[in-house]
Amino acid sequence: MKGRLVIAVAALASLVVAGCSSSSSTSSASGSTSSATGGGGSGSKACNASIGFEGPITGPVANLGAEQLHFAELALSMDNAANKTNITLVQGDTQLQAAQAVTVTQQLISNSAIVAVVGPAGSQEVKAVGGPMGQAGMAFISGSATNTALTSGTYPTFFRVVSNDRVQGAQDANYIVKNLHPKSLMIVDDQEVYSTGLVATMIPIFTAAGIKFDHESVSQKLTDFSSLVAKVTSATSVVVLPWQVAANAQQFGRNLAAQHKTAVIFGTDGLFDTKAFTISGSYVSAFGPDITAMPADASIASAAQSKYGSFGTFGPPVFAATHVVDEAIASVCKAGQTPSRANVLAAIKQTNEATSILGQPISFDAHGDLANGKFFLFKISSAGKYQLIPSS
Amino acid sequence: MRLFFQELVNGVTTGALYSLIALGFSMVYGVLKLLNFAHGDLYMVGAFIGFFVIQWFGGAAHLTIPVPLLLVIMFVLAAGVVGGLGVAIERFAYRPLRDAPRIAPLITAIGISFFLENAALLLFGAQYRIYNTSEFISFSSGIQIGSVNIDSVQIMVVVLGVALMIGLRQLINRTTLGKQMRAVAADREAAEMLGINVNFTIAATFFLGSALAGVAGVMAGLLFNQVTNTIGFIAGLKAFTAAVVGGIGSIPGAMLGGLLIGLAESFVTGYISSTYTNLIVFGVLIVVMLARPSGLLGQAQLQKV
Repeated sequence: MKGRLVIAVAALASLVVAGCSSSSSTSSASGSTSSATGGGGSGSKACNASIGFEGPITGPVANLGAEQLHFAELALSMDNAANKTNITLVQGDTQLQAAQAVTVTQQLISNSAIVAVVGPAGSQEVKAVGGPMGQAGMAFISGSATNTALTSGTYPTFFRVVSNDRVQGAQDANYIVKNLHPKSLMIVDDQEVYSTGLVATMIPIFTAAGIKFDHESVSQKLTDFSSLVAKVTSATSVVVLPWQVAANAQQFGRNLAAQHKTAVIFGTDGLFDTKAFTISGSYVSAFGPDITAMPADASIASAAQSKYGSFGTFGPPVFAATHVVDEAIASVCKAGQTPSRANVLAAIKQTNEATSILGQPISFDAHGDLANGKFFLFKISSAGKYQLIPSS
Repeated sequence: MRLFFQELVNGVTTGALYSLIALGFSMVYGVLKLLNFAHGDLYMVGAFIGFFVIQWFGGAAHLTIPVPLLLVIMFVLAAGVVGGLGVAIERFAYRPLRDAPRIAPLITAIGISFFLENAALLLFGAQYRIYNTSEFISFSSGIQIGSVNIDSVQIMVVVLGVALMIGLRQLINRTTLGKQMRAVAADREAAEMLGINVNFTIAATFFLGSALAGVAGVMAGLLFNQVTNTIGFIAGLKAFTAAVVGGIGSIPGAMLGGLLIGLAESFVTGYISSTYTNLIVFGVLIVVMLARPSGLLGQAQLQKV
């Protein structure tokens, strides 16, 4: 009986540890910001604040979430050093699920020390948390949510540092029409807001160009695409996969090869994963550039590589988003105010960075959209390398 | 016709996989009347074992042993370890609750499922692990009939799956252990009074059912390439559905149910649309259940009053 009790306690403890692993925090948000009245750059008075982070730290795209978290932490440490601020990060794991994002958001909102949030990653999550964030007056900046509807004015405290699907969808569809010249194509959404939004932007362009297309839809949790690939005809020269899980696209590519189909895969953002998606000849359009190829970002890329290893395009936009929040908090402190949700929100609206890690200026329009944003297009070489190519 | 035969091949392959997992569900339900919701997670553990075997022998691109030997080690190790894990789960989580109200082991099964899923997360991380099967089993090693392609992994999955199902059926119908299993499934107390070691028989059932899930996990890794800690949920759900449709507790029913779901998914995707696959497949299954509540090959329970 005693042994059984010990086993039961050990199992319970393991479950608790396992459960806790998905919601740990970089640092505690217990510190109050009430004493922060000084300028961030003066060094004479502390500029204390906490910001939240929402990302898929575990779950099907944990690799992307980890990258986003790493770049948020990197930006925070660099900005704290540069601005002499003391901003801490409180992590929240959304697992790329809207319901989980709502839970995390409620936790962050209830923490009065948190003045702004970086994230969440997915458009479906932004839609789920936009209401509560707005009611709490909490600014939140996503580094990867691109659905067009997010910046239609429904979510007054939402911002993003990447361009939206209308830009990406149109750019990608036009590239396919003008450069790949398909007579017939297959387009497959993954039943998430991000994916269906992009597809909705692309389809009118394909229709106008007279291209026959087969629109399919699969769950993000599906791992066998052999039945779908069987529908790819010999006339289908392009398969468009606006997906978030790179491993799924890799499997789709393998199923194509197994059935001796030669259609080219054209993917978007989530497929930019140099380890998980390596089907040669494929295209990937991404909201972020490859900063390892940008001389101005050499120090950041080097710091990220030495600290966290290799990375893709999901981290740098989160670095940019975190930097925007950090600078807003620093400017509030410099103005002699205590950072609060209201004054940080006002400062973020005034953001006007001449340049950024993304190689482009950052400012926001009236609805929080990035002004004059652009997308980047990569082609995967026969060696599996991602090469930046002209996107028009 | 090309599409028809290609979808037939795809459906039979997926169906064989579902059948193998469903067999374990059905066996455990047969002897304990327990819905073992942790079964899908045992499949996940099997898939991870297969992945790590590949890594131990140099990785997909640089294998240090011949491929047939690698496959044997993958399947045997996955079956053995996952079978052992199934026995341990039965011994420590289910046996103490054998005489408790039926809801108690059901909740325990859900707890074990979460435990395994999160333990895998802690041990292996959340990222996808990729088998890279095509690095050591070439696509060109399959066969092509007209314009229908059957790759060698699909052939292996179907052949091995069918062999295991036939073997299991023979074991249950023709061996002493099989007779003991059937006796325990029919009436546990009576079996005990007849001198059958019920604990051993139930443990053996868990071992066999779990081992099949482990083998199915390796097959899934070879077929679908990706492994992560969450793959067991959907697979378990599909297998549970297959077991119920076939007639839970019935071994041939589990095979038939798995095959039907695999084929239905494949043909709906091929001929209608992937958008409506789950809607149509599960809609049809609801109709089947309405027409035959005890499943296609299940036997109606007689109520004694």
